[in-house]
Amino acid sequence: MRKTLFSLLLLLLASASLMAGGYQVRLQGTRQTGMGLTGTALKSGASDIFYNPGSLGFLGKKFELNLGGNAIISKISFRDLESDYSAQTDNPVSPPFFFYGAGKLTDKLVMGLGVYTPYGSKTVWPDDWKGRYLIQNIGLRAYYMQPTISYQLTDRLGLGAGFIYMYGKADIQKALPYNDANVNLSGSTTAMGFNLGVFFKASDKINLGLNYRSKIEVSLTDGDATFNIPTSLSAILPQNNKFSANLPMPANLDFGVSFQATDKLLLSLELDWVMWGVYDTLTFTFAEKGELLNSKNPRLYSDAYIPRFGLEYTANEKLTLRAGAYYDKTPTNKDYFNPETVSLNTMAFTLGFTYKPSDNFKVDFSFAQLFGQEMERAYTPAHFAGKYKSSATIPGLGITYSF
Amino acid sequence: MNRRYFNILAAVLLLSFTGCQPTIEDFPASSGNADFTRYVALGNSLTAGYADGTLYKSAQANSYPAILARQFAKVGGGTFVQPVVDNEIGLFVNKRVLGFSTDCKGITGLSPVLAEGSPVGLPAALAPVGYPVQNLGVPGAKTAHLIFPGYGNPAGLLTQPPSANPYYVRFASSASASVLQDAMAQNPTFFSLWIGNNDVLGYALAGGENPLGESITQTDVFNFAYNTLINTLTSNGAKGVVANIPDITSIPYFNTVPAMGLVLTAEQAAQLNGAYAQVENYIRTVVGIPNFSYNISFQAGPNPFVVEDRNFPYPLPKAFRVRQAKPGELILLTVPQDSLKCAGMGSFSIEKQRPYGIPQHFVLDQEEIQNIKTAVAAMNTTIKNLAEQKGLAFVDVASLLETAKTGMVYDGLNFTTTFVTGGIFSLDGVHMNQRGAAIVANAFIDAINNKYGAHIPKADITAYPGIVFP
Repeated sequence: MRKTLFSLLLLLLASASLMAGGYQVRLQGTRQTGMGLTGTALKSGASDIFYNPGSLGFLGKKFELNLGGNAIISKISFRDLESDYSAQTDNPVSPPFFFYGAGKLTDKLVMGLGVYTPYGSKTVWPDDWKGRYLIQNIGLRAYYMQPTISYQLTDRLGLGAGFIYMYGKADIQKALPYNDANVNLSGSTTAMGFNLGVFFKASDKINLGLNYRSKIEVSLTDGDATFNIPTSLSAILPQNNKFSANLPMPANLDFGVSFQATDKLLLSLELDWVMWGVYDTLTFTFAEKGELLNSKNPRLYSDAYIPRFGLEYTANEKLTLRAGAYYDKTPTNKDYFNPETVSLNTMAFTLGFTYKPSDNFKVDFSFAQLFGQEMERAYTPAHFAGKYKSSATIPGLGITYSF
Repeated sequence: MNRRYFNILAAVLLLSFTGCQPTIEDFPASSGNADFTRYVALGNSLTAGYADGTLYKSAQANSYPAILARQFAKVGGGTFVQPVVDNEIGLFVNKRVLGFSTDCKGITGLSPVLAEGSPVGLPAALAPVGYPVQNLGVPGAKTAHLIFPGYGNPAGLLTQPPSANPYYVRFASSASASVLQDAMAQNPTFFSLWIGNNDVLGYALAGGENPLGESITQTDVFNFAYNTLINTLTSNGAKGVVANIPDITSIPYFNTVPAMGLVLTAEQAAQLNGAYAQVENYIRTVVGIPNFSYNISFQAGPNPFVVEDRNFPYPLPKAFRVRQAKPGELILLTVPQDSLKCAGMGSFSIEKQRPYGIPQHFVLDQEEIQNIKTAVAAMNTTIKNLAEQKGLAFVDVASLLETAKTGMVYDGLNFTTTFVTGGIFSLDGVHMNQRGAAIVANAFIDAINNKYGAHIPKADITAYPGIVFP
C-alpha cells in the first residue's frame, strides 16, 4: 500500500507540472488548501471569511485568530513552435498570505476581519528571452481587506456578507526594439467589492454552501511609465510618462457540498465558476505621445468552471489528515495567449494535516502540487507561438488560536 | 498509519524542493532528404553580409548564409567559413552608423553618417584570405560574373573596364578561378543561390542612366548564366535552394525621399510661380519659342519636385529642360539633401535665376521603373522554372518584400520597408541589417523544410541586432 501510493506520487511528479486560472490565487486557508481548495460547504472557522461568510456564523469558539501563508514555487517552460529555442522562468517564490480574526457578538452573530491576497502573479523571464518584446517581468498583487458580518438565521441556515476594500499594485517590464531599451510600468490603486455567502445544513451529515465574490475592476490611473531608451530617441518619446490601464479581478460563484461519510471521514465537493469572460482587452493609455504608445491588447478570456474534491480524515483528537484534487481549465484564449500570464489547463493534488496540541491552538500544514499541462499557444498579434508547460509546488502553513 | 502518511508527505516535500522544471519535448529537428554536410552559398553583396554601405565584421558574421549554416548545424550541417573581414569599420569604405548631423539650415537631426575610424584599405584589403570559404557571396557580382574565370584575378582590377572584383580577389583559389569553380571544388552537398539583383540594381542605382555605364543585363545573358550555375551546382547530385529577385523599387533607397517632397507655404508657392513666369517669358521672347510654358503651377502644401526632363520637347540648354515629377516616380536616397533644402534643387535656383531640376541620375522615371520590372519578371520566371525543373527549394523573396511593405510582425517586433525605423534594412537603404538577414534566413528555412521534408529550426530573429541608436 505504502509503496503503491509512493510510486503513484512519484509518477505524477515525474510526468508533470503554475498557477492555473489566470492570475487567481485561492490559497486562503490551510485546511481548505489541503482539501483540494474546497471550502464553501465547510465550517472552517475564521477563514470562512473568504471561503463562505455564510458559515462564519457557525463559529464554534467565542473568538478565533487564524494566520497563515504559502510559498508558491512556480516554474514555467517555453519552447518555440518553429525552433529549438527554449526558455525557463526564474520566478521568485511568491508568498501569498492571509489573516482572519472573528468573534461572536451574540450566539448567532459573528463579526470578523480578513486580510488576504486572492490575485497575483510574478513571472520573471530571462533578460534576453525571445518573448521580451511581449513581456519581460510582471508582478501583480492584490491585497483584500474584508470586514464581514455573519448571522445564523436558523440552526441550519447561515448568511454572511463582507465588504472588500482592495489595494492592488502592478509592475511590468517589456523590451523595446531600440538597442536594449525597455519600458517599466508601475502603479497602484484601490477598489471595492463584496463577498456574500449562504450556508445550509441539509442534514446531520450534509452541508451546502454558496458563495459569491464580486468582480472588482481595477482601474490603474496615473501609473509611472519609465522609458529606458537611447538619448537620440528622447525627442520622440518622453522618458517619464504616465499611463492608465484596467484589469478585472473576476467574480466567483462557488457551490459546495460536504458529506460526513463516517465519524472520521469528511468529503467535500465543489464547483467554482470563475467569470473570467470579463477579461476581454488589456488597454494601455498614455498621458503623452498616446498616438504612438496607446495599445489595445486582446485577451479574450472565457469563464472557467473548476471541479474540486477534498477529504478529511480525523485520525485522533490531535491529528487530522487531508487530501484533495482539482482540475482547472485555462480561461485563456489559444490565439491570444500572452506569456505575461501563463495559465494552462492544470491538474492539482493537495495534501494537508493539522496538529492540535491543545484545545486552543492548532497548526495546519498544506501542500499543493500543480501540474500545468503542456499546451501549444500563440499570441497572434505579435506572431509569437510556442509550447508552454508549468508546475507549481506550494507548501503552506497556518496557525489558529481560539478561545 | 500515521507514519505512512508522514513518509508520503516527506517524499513529496523532498521532490518538490529539489525543483522540477517542467520539460517540453525537444524540437524534432531533421534534415529531411537533404544533406547539409557541405553547404556553400553563392550570391552577391546580400549573400556576403554587406550592410550599412560596406562589408564589416559583425554584419558578415550574421550574413543570412551564416545564420542558415548555424541552423543547418542542428541537422547535420558542417563547418561554414566566410572570408572574414576583421574590422568593424569596413572593407575599403567606412560603414554608416546612425548619428547626428547638422544640415545647411543649421538643424541637427538623427541621420546615417560615416563611422569614425579607418576601414581596411589597400593593399591589405586585397590580400588573399588563404583558406577556402563556404560563403562565396561577392558584393557587386551580377549573375554572369559567377561563371566568369578570372573574376578574382588582381590584374583584372586595373583593366578598363575592370574584369575582376576586389571582393573575389580576396578569396579566389587562383587568378583563373571562377566563383562557380571554387564552389564546386568543395563538392557541396547543398547550395544556396541568390543572384540577379545586381543585374538590375546597378541600373537602378544609377537612376537608370546608361551614360553612367550601368545597364540592365539582357535576358538571354542572364538565362545562360543562370542555367550554367544551376546545371553545374546540381551536377553532382547536390540539393539546394534558390531565391528570386524582389521588386528593388520597393527598397528604402528608392522610397525615402518622396516625389511629392516639395512642401511650400503659400508665399513660397507664389514666389516660385513668379520666378517660373519670368523664365517662361524669357524663353518666349528672347529664345523665341512662342507660347512656351512649363505647365507648372506651385501650390501651398506638398508639390512634386521639379526634375530634369529627358524627353523635353524643346532644344533648350539642359538646365532649362525640367518638369514636375509624376506620381510613381522615385527619387534616390543619395539625392543631395543640402541642395534640396538650401540651393533650390527640385524647384528653382535663386542664385542662378533658373529652374533647378533634380538630376536624372537621382530619379527613376516611369519608363525606367518599367524597364526594371520587366527585366525582374523575366529573370524570376527563369529562376522559378529552373527551380521546379531541378527540384530545388524556391524562396519567393519578391513576395516577402511585398508583404513587408504593408508590415510584418515576428515575436512582437514590427517590421516594414521604411528606412531606419522599418527594422529590416540597414543604413544604406539597399541591404538588410542583421535582423533583416535573420528574416531572410527564416524564409530560406521555410522553403527548404517545405521542399525537402526537413524540419530545420528557425533562427531567433530577436537574437540578432537591428539598427543601433546613439
